[in-house]
Amino acid sequence: MPLAVRAWLMRLYPRPWRDRYAVEFEALLEQCLHSPLDVVDVMLGALDAHLQLLNGENVNWRLMNMLNKLRTTILIVFAAFIGFVVAGMALNGILDDSQMIPLMKTNPAPNIAMSIIQAGAIVALLAVVVGGLPLAITVIRRAVSVERRNLGLLLVPVISLFVLMLYFGFIFLVASGRIQIDGVVPVVQPGNFPAGNRLMLAGLMLVFILGAIASTLAVWKVISRTNVERETFQAWNRALDINIYKFAYIPAVVAACSMWVMLVATVIWSWLVFTTLPQVFVGDFGLWMTSTQVWISSIITVMVICSLAALFGIIHGRSAMIQA
Amino acid sequence: MEPSEFGRFSDPALLILASLAGGEKHGYAMMEDIEATAGVHLGPGTLYGAISRLEGEGLIEALPAVERRRPYRLTPHGAAFLRQYLASLQKFVSLGYKRLEV
Repeated sequence: MPLAVRAWLMRLYPRPWRDRYAVEFEALLEQCLHSPLDVVDVMLGALDAHLQLLNGENVNWRLMNMLNKLRTTILIVFAAFIGFVVAGMALNGILDDSQMIPLMKTNPAPNIAMSIIQAGAIVALLAVVVGGLPLAITVIRRAVSVERRNLGLLLVPVISLFVLMLYFGFIFLVASGRIQIDGVVPVVQPGNFPAGNRLMLAGLMLVFILGAIASTLAVWKVISRTNVERETFQAWNRALDINIYKFAYIPAVVAACSMWVMLVATVIWSWLVFTTLPQVFVGDFGLWMTSTQVWISSIITVMVICSLAALFGIIHGRSAMIQA
Repeated sequence: MEPSEFGRFSDPALLILASLAGGEKHGYAMMEDIEATAGVHLGPGTLYGAISRLEGEGLIEALPAVERRRPYRLTPHGAAFLRQYLASLQKFVSLGYKRLEV
């Protein structure tokens, strides 16, 4: 049967059914859809699936759909967290050796705001580690034993880290004077920040951001491909059977809440710095001695996007969490 | 759970369970096995209607997909269910033979 007929037949099935069976069913139709009787059989099958939904039958593909929703939630929160980490590292880079450090030592308000940001970062990181650990172990186990095509994707974060370390090594050699490049000085000063140095540091940021994006996409793809909801772990001489996505949901909520707390604290901290040190805020004290306010605004924008994405993810998975 | 609860899919469901009792199979392999062993041609819609119900009842479980095909296997619950059904069928067959001999 032509592809168009098969596609039309697939569309007759309810969406949750297709979410669960479409790929394998399409592969089956390619092989065995020969006669008009088979077409009628598929149409009756689609009608039956709709009736199952209408009758409210407790069918597994609805549960599967809910687990897919939970998986999407976990992936969205994970990606949002990575985005937040990138923004947080940029904020940390601006703070290093800046006039804001002495300010925070003498003024308790921005100091408290920064402490809240740091506490939020620790809580979010712990939540991601705790929630993601069973999932990470499961994904690696499956990649080694069954889904070997995932092994290549799992190497992406490792390779990204390796490339970043290489780049750091290159910068270290330049800074120590062992490598000399025209237009690049080993140590930059406020009045002497050549274009070559700016380019080199922009390259570092590019490698870091591209590595973070590639690693997040690879992890996303691997988790999407790993069709396991439950896994058994041995701990304290006991076998623990864990629904990995349900288990990760509460830590995901904690991570999302921490992101919002950090966002609010960052906005307050920025406002306090702006009112106390306006000359720093309007000056060029951002990364690579570029505009501070552009950097702070960009960091807050990324944080807002990531916090909204995490909130969307949590709401998306809430109904599934209740019913799963 | 009774076989009759599968409605118009009761026979296909049992055929699938019997087919998977011989080892894990994907949809097309099940169709071929059932056709070869029971002489019954299951249409794709009927096959997946039964598969979704069997999976929903926890009698079979999906394994990781191989390319686009997803194999299924019998769960311990599914094996017990099939064993129980075949035992009751055996009693019925024995009774039928006895009556024929009378």
